[in-house]
Parts: sequence; structure tokens; C-alpha cells
Amino acid sequence: MPDTFQADGAIRPAGVVQPAPSTLEILAKEAGTDDFEVALESLNQWQLAWRRFRRHRLALLGSSYLLTMVALAILGPILWPYNPNDIPGVKTPGGDPPTLDPIRNLFGSDFGGRSVLQFVVVGARISVSIGLFTMLIATTIGVIVGAVAGYAGGRIDGLLMRFVDLMLAIPFLFVILVAARFFGGGDPVILIVIFGLLFWPGLARLVRALFLSLREAEFVQAARAVGVSDARITFRHILPNALGPIVVSATLIMAGAIVTEAFVSFLNFGIRATDVSWGNALSNSKGYLLQGNWWWPFFPGMALALTVIAVNFIGDGLRDALDPRSKA
Amino acid sequence: MTKYIIRRSLGLIPLLLGIVLVSFTLMKLAPGGPQSQFNQNPRVSEAQVEAWLQRWCLERNPTALSVVREFGGWLGVYNCQTDSFLSERGGLNILPSFMGGGDNGIIKGDLGLSIVSARPVTDVIVERIPATLILTSAALIIWVSIAIVLGVVAAVKRYSLFDQLVTFLAYIFYSLPTFWLGLMFIFVFAVTLRWVPAQGIVSPRNWPPFNTPQYWEAFGAEPIAAVLDVAAHLVLPVTVLVLVNIAGDSRFVRASMLEALNQDYVRTARAKGLPRRMVIMKHTFRNAMLPVVTNVALSLPFLFSGAIVTETIFSWTGMGLLFIEGVNARDYFLLMGLILITSLLVVIANLVADVVYAIVDPRIRYD
Repeated sequence: MPDTFQADGAIRPAGVVQPAPSTLEILAKEAGTDDFEVALESLNQWQLAWRRFRRHRLALLGSSYLLTMVALAILGPILWPYNPNDIPGVKTPGGDPPTLDPIRNLFGSDFGGRSVLQFVVVGARISVSIGLFTMLIATTIGVIVGAVAGYAGGRIDGLLMRFVDLMLAIPFLFVILVAARFFGGGDPVILIVIFGLLFWPGLARLVRALFLSLREAEFVQAARAVGVSDARITFRHILPNALGPIVVSATLIMAGAIVTEAFVSFLNFGIRATDVSWGNALSNSKGYLLQGNWWWPFFPGMALALTVIAVNFIGDGLRDALDPRSKA
Repeated sequence: MTKYIIRRSLGLIPLLLGIVLVSFTLMKLAPGGPQSQFNQNPRVSEAQVEAWLQRWCLERNPTALSVVREFGGWLGVYNCQTDSFLSERGGLNILPSFMGGGDNGIIKGDLGLSIVSARPVTDVIVERIPATLILTSAALIIWVSIAIVLGVVAAVKRYSLFDQLVTFLAYIFYSLPTFWLGLMFIFVFAVTLRWVPAQGIVSPRNWPPFNTPQYWEAFGAEPIAAVLDVAAHLVLPVTVLVLVNIAGDSRFVRASMLEALNQDYVRTARAKGLPRRMVIMKHTFRNAMLPVVTNVALSLPFLFSGAIVTETIFSWTGMGLLFIEGVNARDYFLLMGLILITSLLVVIANLVADVVYAIVDPRIRYD
């Protein structure tokens, strides 16, 4: 990830999705009939989206990887409890290299003989939950602020957007580091709150732009003409159409939060030393790396990198799947 | 155009005030005041601490009123020596000194005192600028040039193997955490292969610390060796910065180029039989570069703010690492100064990007 995270800097591989046969062709083939209308009625928006998502191989691969990590996050610390005071000691100074036997040392050990494999397994809980919960908080705030600004317009819009400008002008990583060091106290929950409160402005700006354009769309005007309430227009008519870009931004926020937590913890400003996240698992490794102790930073970082790549692939698949205009 | 620039600049004033307020509040909310940090510095005498507390309206037991006074003093509206809005010269403190105003406050370019080094923050920051500028400008020039070449070729040969390969690699490098990529590069190229040094700006064995008077003396004696030494240390951090930043920009160039290729005037140029090279270079490329120029202008704050992550991993003692050191030492004035300067640069770069766009693209009118 670049030094500054941009929620809107989406980079997507082109040509991953093969040009697909149209819905009608598929449905006609599956139903064994030429009567398109009958077949079409049986699929709603979500079924069509799932159909499109399933066709995105990398997104499926990413989903299965992420689900594995979520399972690790839930089960890992239960099956293999981490005890920070259990320092078994090492045979080689600076940490034992990876061996196939025994399984404890599959990924090698750190300078105190603690298993790097365990860091990866146990660290998943904090890293993945920081990603998920930051995404939830930041997306909620961003959608609400953006929707209010875009739908209300006028002075409220001006005020909210000036605040977003302010948040975007102050270098994000600076504030995160200061806040994590001064207020974090090593607590993952506080870190999630800090991240959630700082990750939303880019999304709010995006949602506002979507609402501004959708507000003038013909189907919204039609809904307004027949007397649908503002709240219902917002949630039933505009939001589903804005969902694609919002979800993609949400996945970028999740990826950004996971990496940021890792970096903050790597600098020892994040998670306290007695807990394990992928970032602080490798926080003391730099000095030993210069002696050739590669496995210690490599494996936790690899888990982190693969998670970020998986999340980005999922976002890519969701973008294709949730775009109402894309072919099914 | 002039009117537009003036209007936009005036619009920035509330934004700047907001930035000042946020950076100050952030520091004041943090537990433990700067006083305690001053006291921990063994090189500083008790009398000096008292003088500093006096100069910056710092109270040992801050109250709401003292914090407001402190903010006024830091901003330059209030004078802590006279304890009023008037300066020692008798005029309003906020006025320039030749009109009887005071010398304190960020408005006058006085960012306060770095607690760790007991020197003015401005000096501490200026001292770090050359190191950061070398690293960031080298990286920026290289990644923008490569991104333009990759983006243009990928757009012209859309959906070719080259296009898909560039896309895929850009995607991977964009996703990799910078600090981890840096660590792995150190292991492979510095520790295992020993091609380049792992960290620092100069080799500590042969050269004095970078940007000290002794260094420039040694530099004068052997300029070529000195440049080569810094260049060797630049290789890894610049490579990491280029790899992680190239992704976004090459995609941007590609998209911009594709859009230009679809324009009617390009079809016209093709239809009238111009050579392909001329169509691409003269008709498409120059138009596709307009948004790219803006995008590069938006990257300019990075030149000075530095790359926190990369500088930390490679122990490159520039602005980014200075910030980390400041956070570590809870160096309040230094942190406020750095946040302020960097935010200011971001705001100015946004303005410059808009203005540059208006200048290079005659179709845009802002009146």
C-alpha cells in the first residue's frame, strides 16, 4: 500500500472477468425454454449479484482465504492459547529457523523461542477484527454523512463538506500515529474507535457525489412525484443504486485499516506487547533481520499481505456483481 | 483567473484555522503536559524551563483559561510576556513587528521549541528537509516517468498480454504493505546479496552524519565518492516507494489515455491518414497528460512531508522519521509544527492543482 491511503484510489485489474453470455441466454439454457419472461421473474437483484460474483474466480479465491482467516480469528486463540510469559528459549541466537518438525517451529521462532506460526494463528483475531470493525464504523459514518449532505444540499451540505475537507487536509497517518500513541494505550478496542473515526471522510465525499447525481435521476423524480417519503427514497431507491461503489470503498477501508494497524503496532504505538496482532508480531524483528533472521517478519507479513490482496479481490468481484448495469 | 485564485485563497482561511485548531486540540487532549517533557531533558536548566513556560503561557497546572491563552500565544494573537493582546513594543501582538507587533506565534513563522533537542522547531525541521527531498524527489520523478510509459503502452495495447501483466503486478504491489516490502527488500538485497546498504543515508564508517557541517566539509573534499555513497543508500528506499506508488499512477495514466483515444478528434486524425505515431503522440498523449499533471501536482506535499513508513524502515533521517521521533518523545511543539506544515502543503497543492489545470487546459473556465 502507498504511504497515504486513499479510499477512492481503486485499482482494479482489467480483463479478469471474461465477457459472459447474457442473462437471457443463461436462463433460457437452464430453464430449457425460450420463454425468457417466466425465467426472469424468479431472480431478484441479490440472486443476480451472487450469480455475477460467483463468476469472478479471484474474488472467490479471496473470499475463501478471508473466511479461513476469520475462522482463525475466532478459533485460533481458543485452540492455541497465547501466553506472553511463556518464553521457551532458543537453540540458535536470534531465533530458530523454520523446520518441519515439530509443528511449533514450522515458521521458525522469534528471539525468545516463541513460535512464529502461533503469532500468525493468534494474531489473526486482532488484525481481522480491526479491519472488519473499522470498516463497519467508518462505512456507517461515511454513508450517513455523505447521504445527508448529498440529499439535503444547501447549507448542511456546505458545512459537512468543509469538515470533510478539513479531515482530508490533515495527513491521515500523522493523526493516526499521534492518536494511537497518546490515547490508544495498547487497547485494540480504542484503536478500532480511533480508526473508525478517521477512515470515513473519503467515503463520505464519494457517497455525497453519488447522491447528488442519483437525486436527479428519473426514477427518483418519479418516486417523489407519487409522494414517496424522503427516508424511503433514500433507503429504497437511492442507496441500492449507490451500493456498488460504497462496497468497494468499504473493502478498501478494511484493507487500509489492517495495514495501518500493522504499521502502528510495528512501531510499538499500537497493540500492547502482551497481545498479538500480525503487526506487532514482527515489531521487534528488524534488528534480527539484519542477521539474516527472515522468517520472523516474513510469515506474519505474508498473512497480512495475502489478507489485503484477498480483500481487494473481493472488492473487485463485488463491484462487478453489484453494478446494476453490468451484464449478469 | 486572478479573481478565481484570490477567491479560492480566501476560502482557505477557515480551513487553515480549522487545521490549526485540530492540531492544537489533539496535543492538548493528550495526557501529560509538555512541562513534564521539558523537565525530563537533562541538558536543560531549571531557569530555562521557567523562561520557556513563561514564553509559551504554559502552566504547570493548566486550567481552561490558561489553555486558551496558550493557544493564543501559539497562534500569535496573544503575548505571553506582557500577558495581554499587546506586544512588548506596545502595538497589537498580531501585527508585523515593524508595526509594533510581537515576534511569537505561528503567524510569525515561530513554531515554538522542540523539547527533545531544546532548539527552535523551525530549525529542527529545516535541517531534515534536504534528506527527505533527495529521497522523495528521486522517487517521484522515477515513478511518474515509469507510470506514464507503462500507462500509455498499456492503453495503446489495451487487453494485450502486456496490459494484463502491468495491471496484475500493479495490483499486487499496491496491496503489499509498504513496511513489510521494505523489510523483505532489506533481507534479500542488503543482507543476503549485499548489493546495497540496508539503512541510513551515508555509511557511518566513512562519513559524518548527513547534513552536519562536518559532512559538507567531507563532501567538499570528495564530492564524487560522497554522491555515490548517498546514491547507494537511495536504491532500496526509492525502489520501494516507486513500486508501491507506481500502481495508482499507471492506472490513472492508462484510464486518461483510453479516454483520450476515444475522442472524436483522434478518430478524425486517424481518418485523415496521419501516421499512427503522430496520432498517439501529438493528438492523444498531450491531451491525456492534462489530468496526469494535476495528479502529480497533488503528490507535491509528499516531497516535503516525506514517506513516514519508508523512512522508518530504512532509517532515513528525514521529515517522516522526525515525526516518528517526535511521537516517541511526545515532542508537542514539533508535532504541531509538522502537522501544520504538512497540512498547509496539502491545501496549497490542491489549489495549485486546480490552477495548473486551468492553465494547461484552455477548455476550463473558472470565472
